[in-house]
Amino acid sequence: MGRLRNLEPMQILGLLGALFFLTAPYALPLVVPGFWVNITAEIMIWALFAASVNLLFGYTGLLSFGQALYFGMGAYGVALSIEFFHFSFWPAALTGIAVATLSAFVTGIFAARLTWHYFAIITVVFSLIFFFFAVGWKDVTGGDDGMPFTMPPVLKVGGLELSLLDLTFQYYFILAVVGACFGMMHLLLKSPLGYAFIAVRENTARAGLVGYNAYMVRLLSFVFSGFFAGVSGVLFALFSRYASAHFLFWTVSGEGVVWAVVGGAGTLFGPVLGTAFLIVIREELSAYWEHYLLVVGVIVILFVTYAPQGIMGLLRKAIARYARPAAGDGRGARP
Amino acid sequence: MTGPVLETQSLTKSFGGLVAVDHVDFTLPGGGLHAIIGPNGAGKTTFFNLISGFLPVTAGRVVFHGRDITGKRPHEISRLGIARTLQIKSVFNGLTVIDNVWIAAKGQSRFLHPFRPASSYTDVAREAEALLDDIGLAGHRDEIAGNLSYGDIALLEIAIALATKPKLLLLDEPVSGMSPNETQRTVEIIKNVSKRLDVILIEHDMEVVFGVADVITVMTQGTILCQGSPDAVAKDTRVQEAYLGTPEDEEAAGA
Repeated sequence: MGRLRNLEPMQILGLLGALFFLTAPYALPLVVPGFWVNITAEIMIWALFAASVNLLFGYTGLLSFGQALYFGMGAYGVALSIEFFHFSFWPAALTGIAVATLSAFVTGIFAARLTWHYFAIITVVFSLIFFFFAVGWKDVTGGDDGMPFTMPPVLKVGGLELSLLDLTFQYYFILAVVGACFGMMHLLLKSPLGYAFIAVRENTARAGLVGYNAYMVRLLSFVFSGFFAGVSGVLFALFSRYASAHFLFWTVSGEGVVWAVVGGAGTLFGPVLGTAFLIVIREELSAYWEHYLLVVGVIVILFVTYAPQGIMGLLRKAIARYARPAAGDGRGARP
Repeated sequence: MTGPVLETQSLTKSFGGLVAVDHVDFTLPGGGLHAIIGPNGAGKTTFFNLISGFLPVTAGRVVFHGRDITGKRPHEISRLGIARTLQIKSVFNGLTVIDNVWIAAKGQSRFLHPFRPASSYTDVAREAEALLDDIGLAGHRDEIAGNLSYGDIALLEIAIALATKPKLLLLDEPVSGMSPNETQRTVEIIKNVSKRLDVILIEHDMEVVFGVADVITVMTQGTILCQGSPDAVAKDTRVQEAYLGTPEDEEAAGA
């Protein structure tokens, strides 16, 4: 217990969050209807997507309104390679991630030259080009109606067959992949490259003067961000058993931005909080009122105006106010 | 390597009709502290901007240790060994003092590892800590740079520049806005640094300039007016005119 008492309040909250996601398939049905397990799985996927927006916006200072492109590339990458090329599970999933990352690299070559509104415009234009392309090429993509596919098993050894059709297995599969991605992002942000992202965000001119090639740094951030968005797209296609042209639409990109900002841009887990908060609101309100998005809009405006640091910022402030004195004592006792 | 440290040949920069730097031939033989002075708008900062790759050159060349660096970008020039501070102090405001210096020291690496923890680069960390000690900012190690006093931000900017291990350091008004105490401290630091590497200093504080500089270059209207030892420059009548104006100017100013 002694060790637990030395934890910072934020670390305790983190542990509680981890505990929640680890036990959700068994714990959630005890208190709420069973479909909330699936919603929690969906939250994890979208949280990874929001985190990809956050990597660019919160850490590198680039506001992308085109992340849906790499999300959609991941989704179509996995769906098409299963449906048309009859790939098995893992090659299909890896194809989706590779296609997303590669398209981030190719578009990034142009986008990383720009910043601020020009960057926002070029990213949204890129995603719209591919959206209209996907809508038009209906034979292959299914257009607006989407393109369903048959789920191949994840693993088949002798009599043992693991498939995402088993919803509990699916939940833990998504948790493992999203967890691994957040672990990877954590390493990335604590690495010299992660420091370079932050240096470019903080002061691009100064970063250049001490030797960082701001263009290369932005491009690398863009590619990593495309990779994470691609993974989330692959997961979402597997989760919903189809890919649709609508995955590429700009509203998807916009939601990613909103989730990241409301949760707290520039923090690793802010996007998880923002995504969870707004998806729960969506689930609760959309049943009663079809214009629930108005409420979401008001929430976003309030956050951007009064709490630009997002939920994470509010949490930190609250901890500083109520929990610091106790934590301060603990710190003082340390050598 | 017997050639000059830095040489500009007919270096020119024009903004539309305004020629800010006009065919400047400048040679820095190396060794000692070189100061550039001149009235506002003389083109001193623009001259720095051309050397450090901040602005594209209109005409002419910049040669650093025998290598043509005209048209290179700031990060390339930084890696070749020229560091600079800016007239409007420029640090990573949202980061701690130690992270500012760490990032600058690491910026010279060709490869930025995407997954190895930054904290495992103990050599870089040691360099950064030592620099903070030298500059006298060790006490502010974990403070957010943007919260420092103006003088400390200027010192941090010098530490950042030194962290890149430059051969040539360009300082743009390092003591402007500093208290007399801070100025004295900064002047000592600049003096010490100039024993190890070449320094060019742009400064308006004449007491500082004439106290530390070995050679002074005077610029007016985008050209070099004269160059020489502090004594020679102080006696030059053209310099007095440039600063104080001709008698008619003075009347106009007094009116």
